[in-house]
Amino acid sequence: MIKKALITGITGQDGAYLAELLLNKGYEVHGIKRRTSLFNTDRIDHLYQGPHEENRQFVLHHGDMTDSSSLIHILQKVQPDEVYNLAAQSHVAVSFEEPEYTANSDALGALRILEAIRTIGLTEKTRYYQASTSELYGKVHEVPQNEKTPFYPRSPYAVAKLYAYWITVNYREAYGIYACNGILFNHESPIRGETFVTRKITRALSRIALGLKECVYLGNLDAKRDWGHAKDYVEMQWMMLQQEEPEDFVIATGKQYSVREFVDAAAAELGITLEWKGSCVDEQGVVVGVKKLADKQFDASLHLRPGDIIVRVDPRYFRPTEVETLLGDPSKAKEKLGWAPKIPFASLVAEMISYDMEEARRDELCRGKGFRINTYNE
Amino acid sequence: MSKTALILGVSGQDGSYLARLLLDKGYTVVGASRDAAMSTFANLEKLAIKERVATESVSSTDFYSVLQVLKKVRPDEIYNLAGQSSVGLSFQQPMETYESISVGTLNLLEAIRMLEMPVRFYNACSSECFGNINGEKANEQTPFRPRSPYAVAKAAAFWQLANYREAYGLFACSGLLFNHESPLRPPRFVTQKIVREACEIKLGRKGKMKLGNISVIRDWGWAPEYVEAMWLMLQQEKADDFIIASGQSYSLEALVETVFSSLGLDWRDHVEINPELLRPTDIEISRADPAKAKRILGWKAKYAMKDVAFMMVQACMENFRK
Repeated sequence: MIKKALITGITGQDGAYLAELLLNKGYEVHGIKRRTSLFNTDRIDHLYQGPHEENRQFVLHHGDMTDSSSLIHILQKVQPDEVYNLAAQSHVAVSFEEPEYTANSDALGALRILEAIRTIGLTEKTRYYQASTSELYGKVHEVPQNEKTPFYPRSPYAVAKLYAYWITVNYREAYGIYACNGILFNHESPIRGETFVTRKITRALSRIALGLKECVYLGNLDAKRDWGHAKDYVEMQWMMLQQEEPEDFVIATGKQYSVREFVDAAAAELGITLEWKGSCVDEQGVVVGVKKLADKQFDASLHLRPGDIIVRVDPRYFRPTEVETLLGDPSKAKEKLGWAPKIPFASLVAEMISYDMEEARRDELCRGKGFRINTYNE
Repeated sequence: MSKTALILGVSGQDGSYLARLLLDKGYTVVGASRDAAMSTFANLEKLAIKERVATESVSSTDFYSVLQVLKKVRPDEIYNLAGQSSVGLSFQQPMETYESISVGTLNLLEAIRMLEMPVRFYNACSSECFGNINGEKANEQTPFRPRSPYAVAKAAAFWQLANYREAYGLFACSGLLFNHESPLRPPRFVTQKIVREACEIKLGRKGKMKLGNISVIRDWGWAPEYVEAMWLMLQQEKADDFIIASGQSYSLEALVETVFSSLGLDWRDHVEINPELLRPTDIEISRADPAKAKRILGWKAKYAMKDVAFMMVQACMENFRK
């Protein structure tokens, strides 16, 4: 029997990687996407199968986490063996501006799916994965954080995710649904959303290196995070649903870097050496050296000289309450599931830079030939 | 000038006692209820204060309704006691439970922030947030482990409030109240159900009483004195969260025994255990350490389970005699 998986948030970073993983494992993959006037499927376009293809293994449904009946309808139709709830308003900073929407999609969204599973009578059949987050630890009680560390959420996003976490546990205990939380620490990739800090950095530095942009403004450079590769993490999401008993797991690398260190690593990939001058809101990333490269297409030295300020701090990106440090302890995942992240930090940064350089080069080329290029802004 | 207090959920047990307390302290009290015109405010009537409480219709899940009432009333203190309040019902209405508790709190916090009001805000949190903690006494540092949709919603409301306090400096407090009872408790709650049915049995109006799990252990206090702790929290220099409890826990069986023996009856002759009344998940033992409330607020419970049971039986019998 072919297994069926339903992924909410399939148009996002994790959704795309997970869909690919499950298709490779022979699953029939169903995804839920919101209707928008804009195309938003670039991350999964390579997986797309049109409605006229035979034996489709990849099917998209229109639905919305804030619409109970759409979710019930899709679950009823698909009768999935596994549901991966990855859909969310996933941006911490935005949650301060849209707290109610964040609560509706992230907290109630999880409840709606769990209730739908129960209502339709899929309690015995369907396994449920809830995308929980290291942001739950917030103002951390201990370092590193494991599955027993108490939560201290510090944003409307984290509070909404806290609700989703506990309601998942409650439906497991109250109704015996096979339901798990993956407490994922930051996970990045070349298809990370452009407004998340890592991708913002790799995109901006790539464009700066090619003279398409002058400077990037960032928020708290001291924030420390445990950064892994999304591709490694979706594997763990799948593994969690293949166990005898449902359990919650921390998924992390166990290593930590500051935002500033991420910038340094990304710059180094481009042959740029930075020096940090000033402090707090006046801190600046100043170019002190640019490697000359044989391949002119990649040569940042054509556009940058020592003394150029390419990183600045904008307090607008500070959050009303900051999470200073997050560091995960993935021992349980390692011991119980034999999982360990394969892609190290340096390779993650290199892959992101290489992807964003390609995009920047394409834009540079187009601009050179007189075509208008899009400058996307937040 | 007298202070103005806005109480959301004024028609409930705590809302009514709090309204009386604040009136006695000279406050102007505005009570909010979802539909003030349709509500009978029976509890305010029982306390003989209905005429002295101005009422407004507010649905805390409707942001505009919250904004409007705050602009109109301009309160100095807000007490949010509104929300779906039954743990059992929350398994049947998880969504409504979340919206009335968690979205309701969020709307109030957001409205206070938006209007830049120097208001002090009390939010009713719950001991249910702690869940099972192996019989240990919960204090303000004990991590939450909620075990019902009600408790999960209250935990979310707790953290929302903490976040708004830290992020925007609002004067906002969560009261982690353990079970608190009174003659105004509706009979859906187990204490009132036991008291009422035991009185009916005593009066020969009822045969057997059916109960679910009587081994659960709870800290039962006296609601009229718990509302005083709510008020005290808003009179401090610094906004903080407090556990409010009697500090003494008893099994439901002990409560049943107390109620029946105060009526001269042996509970074993009148109670049947019915497993159908069990909740999908329940808390076994709930114990509290209210030391912080005593240290900082100077508040200490005068009554514990036995006093509460006696007073409720007394009030119920009086009611029946009327």
